Amino acid sequence: MNKRQNNNPILELENVYKSYNGVKALTDVHFDLHPGEVHALVGENGAGKSTLVKIIMGVIQTDAGSINLDGEPVKISNPQVAQDLGIAAIYQEPMVFPDLNVAENIFISHAQRGSIVKWSKMFRDAEEILGKLDVKLNVRMPARGLTVAAQQAVEIAKAISLNVRILIMDEPTSSLSAHEVEQLFKLIRALRNQGVAILFIGHRLEEVLEISDRVSVFRDGCWISTKPRDEITIDGVIRDMVGREFSEFFSKTKTERGDLLLSVRNLYKENTFHDINFDVYRGEVLVFAGLIGSHRTDVGLALFGVEPADSGEIMLEGNSYRIKSPEQALKLGIAYATEDRRHLGLTMPMSICSNISLPLLRDYLNKLGLIKRIEEEKTAEVFRKRLDIRASSVNISVENLSGGNQQKVMISKWLNTDPKLLILDEPTRGIDVGTKAEVHKMINDLTGRGIAVILISSDLPEVLAMSDRILVMREGKQMGIFEQKKAEQELIMAAAMGQNNIKQGVAL
Amino acid sequence: MKRIYGRFSPEQIRVLFLMLLIVLVVVIFSIQIDDYLTANFFNRISTSVAIIAVLAIAQTLVFLTRNFDLSLGSIVGVTAYIIGQQLTRIPNMHPVVTVIFAIGLGMLMGTINGVLIAYGRVPSIIITISTLAIYRSFLVEYSHAIPITTNNLPRWVVELNKISLLTIGGLELRVLFLIMIVIVVIFQLVLSYLRFGRRLYAIGSNPVAAKVAGFPDRNIVFMAFLLSGALGGLAGFMYLVRFGNIMVLAGQGLEFASIAAVVVGGVSNMGGSGTAIGALLGSVMIDLLENSLYRTMAVSEFWRGAILGMLILLAVAIDHVFIGRLRKIWARAGFLMTQSEEDPEKAEVSSHVE
Repeated sequence: MNKRQNNNPILELENVYKSYNGVKALTDVHFDLHPGEVHALVGENGAGKSTLVKIIMGVIQTDAGSINLDGEPVKISNPQVAQDLGIAAIYQEPMVFPDLNVAENIFISHAQRGSIVKWSKMFRDAEEILGKLDVKLNVRMPARGLTVAAQQAVEIAKAISLNVRILIMDEPTSSLSAHEVEQLFKLIRALRNQGVAILFIGHRLEEVLEISDRVSVFRDGCWISTKPRDEITIDGVIRDMVGREFSEFFSKTKTERGDLLLSVRNLYKENTFHDINFDVYRGEVLVFAGLIGSHRTDVGLALFGVEPADSGEIMLEGNSYRIKSPEQALKLGIAYATEDRRHLGLTMPMSICSNISLPLLRDYLNKLGLIKRIEEEKTAEVFRKRLDIRASSVNISVENLSGGNQQKVMISKWLNTDPKLLILDEPTRGIDVGTKAEVHKMINDLTGRGIAVILISSDLPEVLAMSDRILVMREGKQMGIFEQKKAEQELIMAAAMGQNNIKQGVAL
Repeated sequence: MKRIYGRFSPEQIRVLFLMLLIVLVVVIFSIQIDDYLTANFFNRISTSVAIIAVLAIAQTLVFLTRNFDLSLGSIVGVTAYIIGQQLTRIPNMHPVVTVIFAIGLGMLMGTINGVLIAYGRVPSIIITISTLAIYRSFLVEYSHAIPITTNNLPRWVVELNKISLLTIGGLELRVLFLIMIVIVVIFQLVLSYLRFGRRLYAIGSNPVAAKVAGFPDRNIVFMAFLLSGALGGLAGFMYLVRFGNIMVLAGQGLEFASIAAVVVGGVSNMGGSGTAIGALLGSVMIDLLENSLYRTMAVSEFWRGAILGMLILLAVAIDHVFIGRLRKIWARAGFLMTQSEEDPEKAEVSSHVE
């Protein structure tokens, strides 16, 4: 435990209850936070972590229970109250204002700076705060176009400028590269040493163990355990999270490599990627690894025809095609499940069955052009069973599902098109350990049926466990293709970071 | 190249581009039409631009927060009529009182919009399209279809439009034009130097972030509609001064003109970007084109709506391509600038997405 931590908690939640429309989100929850500690909160999706954050931030109110700040009961009725009490939050997707410049983003909420904006003073102050954080940013640039890491740095600067005593970080690392995570952790440690109490929510347990002083586990809206850093193990945390032993996370079951399905030669797109060469065989998983900005996703989008490549050859089952649209790609048997479920993957207000039938809606029309709802539901039921989508009915809208189940609906939607090649872009990002294992099981199932999978993933253990071969990219360049047997975390990382002294893997 | 990045933002370049386009339009028409550039033409346009520009500023305030005010035309009509009626009844009402009365009336209507939108959380398009109809119907009922006529108005109102504060070789600086300039200057300053102004940009730029940012976002949206109504009331007074005769349909279509002006002027319909100067230039552009096209005789007055519509489409199309490109180039330039100054390790944190 951190020495600076004193014995009086700065924030204490007692017997907190919260339900939405009769569904229990939090039940009798206890949580406390001490100055100068990083207290991590982990749990599967739906465990109630986000609800807890919203309550502390004043976005929603508790049904019952008390919140004490410095031992005094407080009522946090809206985010402004939270701010006045010295509480700030940094979310998974940073909440910046893209049209405002960096300095404005830091000071937009400040009430005591007066109602007239003193620009030059504001720029100076912003530079000073960023300087303290050892972050170099042009404070006059609009926040539009900043990387997620840079946006988070801006938000941290904002929190510091407000003299926060409690900083909540809700999955801040999920879209950061390994290097950026290191930078972020440096900032977190610096803040902790200044006495700030930090609530850290994370999905990557290795990171949680690295940064935290104490770890609390929630499950199904209930508090399960709180232990100091020294007394916990990853296995123990996972056991608490899922409520059962977890011997093995995930692994690729070996399948026989089938015939050659797809060959890509010299694929090129201006300012995006170049010289991409690879083959995919039926029943294999080819992983695209690389850091943020390596343009792995763009290669996937090019194969699916969303953002077609400028030149190069795409051969599918021996025939050469220029894939120009998703319609064409679907006809050829290529499907692409996007990373951005919420915006690109699913139609949130629509039901599970309507989402699944959407790409092939024509097949669900009767002679009058009306939708055959029974057929739709039948299909959806098949996938509900096969992928274990947890929902009371296939007619409920997908926005009511947890992230993991949404992921399954999206994958169902594309499996229903009966693809030969399925491109999965970060299918396990932001979903919990249990569902992650199910997604991996499903990938094994698919390859067993002879479907080829291109898996785009930033999660190194996943990359190593699930792959047959690994294609590493860096800044639009193909760094090499590695056989899973020969690959190690360090080797992949080195290639992704652009180290030149590594041996090129087996090409193609 | 580096200099351009430092000195002008993409939005500023767009404003310069619009200025250039206005000059180009004037040059083309003066070649096409004999006696185009007369002092008389300038004087006439200056008063009609004044009203549209004041409304465009009103529209800008709500546009910045990702909202619309479709009720502006009705607010102008109602204010112009009621003020005209009161002046007919009480001819010796003081001019200052009259203007304050007009602004107050507009504020009242803006308050109704603002309460329902900001606190009732109903989308502005629903609320203001309703109040557009409600305010207009109120006017029809209230007026019993009896128009206000110039003859019954006090002399100062009728003459105010003709008063020139400064005349240079036939070019007159008329009162309405001066009011407009004052309003544009005030709101340009409000938008760039007041916390309130910057928060308008913030709300439109990312409404979700504004909710959790810890500043009173709803009060600010409410204020935007209140001010929009107030400016609508002022424009109603200006409308009365300009035309004198007020029918129940007075001001109809001005909400549309104000939207055309702000869109052409580069105020984003997705909120977060745009300036008062831009709104002014947009107003000048649409009014100039309209008035000039009538004079070519090639276009009849019935095409008025179509011209505005086409201008909106064109402006949106240009913005989509042009501003998007520029912003990308700028972001990349920002990236290069920061990277060249620092050691590469730190630059990683500061890097921009390409």
